[in-house]
Amino acid sequence: MNGSPLIGLTGVLVLLFMLTTGVPLGVSLGLVGICGMTLILGLEPALIKSGVILFETLSRYELGVLPLFFLMAHICFIANASRDFFDATASLIGHRRGGLALASIGGCAGFGTISGSSLATAATIGLVALPEMRKRGYSGALATGSVAAGGTLGQIVPPSGALIVFGIIAEQSIGKLFTAAIVPAITQALLYGMAVILLCHFKPHLAPATSRASWSERRVALIRVIDIGFLVLLVIGGIALGWFSPPEAASVGSVGALLLCAWRRRLNWSSLGHALAETLRTSGMIYVVVVGALIFSVFISLSGMTEQVAQLLGDAGSNRIVSLLVITAVLLLLGSVLDGLALMLLTTPIFLPIVQDMGLSPIWFGVFLVRAMELGFIHPPMGMNLYVIHNIAKDVPLGRIFKGVLPFLAADFAHLLLLILMPATVIWLPTILGQ
Amino acid sequence: MKNSTQKDGSERKPLRLGEKCLFYLGAVALLFAMATDTLAVLGRHIGVPLWGSIELVQAGILIASSTAMLSATLAKKHAKVRILVNRLHGGPLLWLQWAQALFSAVFFLALLVGSFWIFLDMRGAYEESELLHIPYTPLRIICILSIFGVMLSFVRRLTESPKQ
Repeated sequence: MNGSPLIGLTGVLVLLFMLTTGVPLGVSLGLVGICGMTLILGLEPALIKSGVILFETLSRYELGVLPLFFLMAHICFIANASRDFFDATASLIGHRRGGLALASIGGCAGFGTISGSSLATAATIGLVALPEMRKRGYSGALATGSVAAGGTLGQIVPPSGALIVFGIIAEQSIGKLFTAAIVPAITQALLYGMAVILLCHFKPHLAPATSRASWSERRVALIRVIDIGFLVLLVIGGIALGWFSPPEAASVGSVGALLLCAWRRRLNWSSLGHALAETLRTSGMIYVVVVGALIFSVFISLSGMTEQVAQLLGDAGSNRIVSLLVITAVLLLLGSVLDGLALMLLTTPIFLPIVQDMGLSPIWFGVFLVRAMELGFIHPPMGMNLYVIHNIAKDVPLGRIFKGVLPFLAADFAHLLLLILMPATVIWLPTILGQ
Repeated sequence: MKNSTQKDGSERKPLRLGEKCLFYLGAVALLFAMATDTLAVLGRHIGVPLWGSIELVQAGILIASSTAMLSATLAKKHAKVRILVNRLHGGPLLWLQWAQALFSAVFFLALLVGSFWIFLDMRGAYEESELLHIPYTPLRIICILSIFGVMLSFVRRLTESPKQ
């Protein structure tokens, strides 16, 4: 049987059904991919292709970046980096109205440079920041909203797990994706900051001003993040400046994190064993997803579905902006029922060729997709960050947390629009660095 | 390291040992890849390049990722959408879990058959890396064994789930 868009569409629908019933992500993608390839090519080529994809994926040098960055994050966690990032920002701006909410966002951005995950960032900074904000009389909605939304910075601030997975699926340079994400991550944090400032301006009772930290306290807090800040600069700067490739950066970062942990006298066999075990489990989960996604993308490309969708968009006579807005609407709609990784893996094989046909860079699409994915983390019914924060601040009802996150959602929509209208915000930095 | 989730005490001990071996193998391979890559970076910058470092890292990462997939499966840590699962209880949830295990076992069986097919085809081809001549056969065997372990774990859940 030849490939037909109908087989592709049926595959996508079956995939959505399997995902909804809780079949593991990688399994759903891979199984639909193998069945689809069997229909188009026959059983033997489908099985052999899957075997080839498995071995090639596991032995790929570039994919080593994934477990090594996870290891770096877990070791930095042992070093108590999350509290240090929050304390440093809080000591500088915590006394201002809404300062601790701003510090939470800053702490999330800082911790995002080593974590690479939205949930981990929200949970870790939430544990430190929420009790502090509640103690100082901050409104439950603002406190929880700022941490839930700030957590999504962990997904976009390099090194980002989502960008690594996108780079592998779309066969794009991970280093270039990391560099491209720097400006969008900064603008996202600034927009969140503006949301807090505006909220506190119009409703001052939400976040009272508190006592100012002394200069000696500030110095102590800042000194505590110097070593970890240097490590982050070395890793991200090293990639951006071409000193080393992303997998090498991940290795250097992990060794650096080990040395830092030892320097802070927080390294022992038990914590190292825990970090390694968690690293293996998390990366094993991602490896299965990546293998499944690569099999699925081969099936989608064989089915010819992408060309059909591109033709439909072209026939509608829409211009680039309208097409991108349609794609964004689909991403947000799917993102409200699928988790971020599922959304990315389902839509990349379909939308990436279309976006490239429009003359846009795949690097831009990767960053844009990760940004769109992040929204699913803070709005119901998925809204994983909301549930994570609710677990930490049990006294704040889920409805209030959602109310608290609304201003940040508005900031997110503004940011997505900015990325669509000004793709240069993404492409500019890698271009001037000659990547 | 976390213990196995088995409730049957008699089955716990060998699985724990297996998990421990798996952990040590994966951890050593990961640390080996990390150290090799870091030495390669250092060597390149001081003018003493580490010959064939990428091939060594590739082998380390393959072993680490193979054991990682099995570790994730044993810890039941596979990513899934929980929108429906979190709302079900009792019988329907158990049947859904059984179906999830069935689909997972079938997928890994397909991967196993595909990998074994290629392994048989390439047996006489003496596949090896370019610089250090690292043979691919043992690496393929590790990959196949790990997928077999993952499949076995899902088959085991298949026989357990509806009875729980």
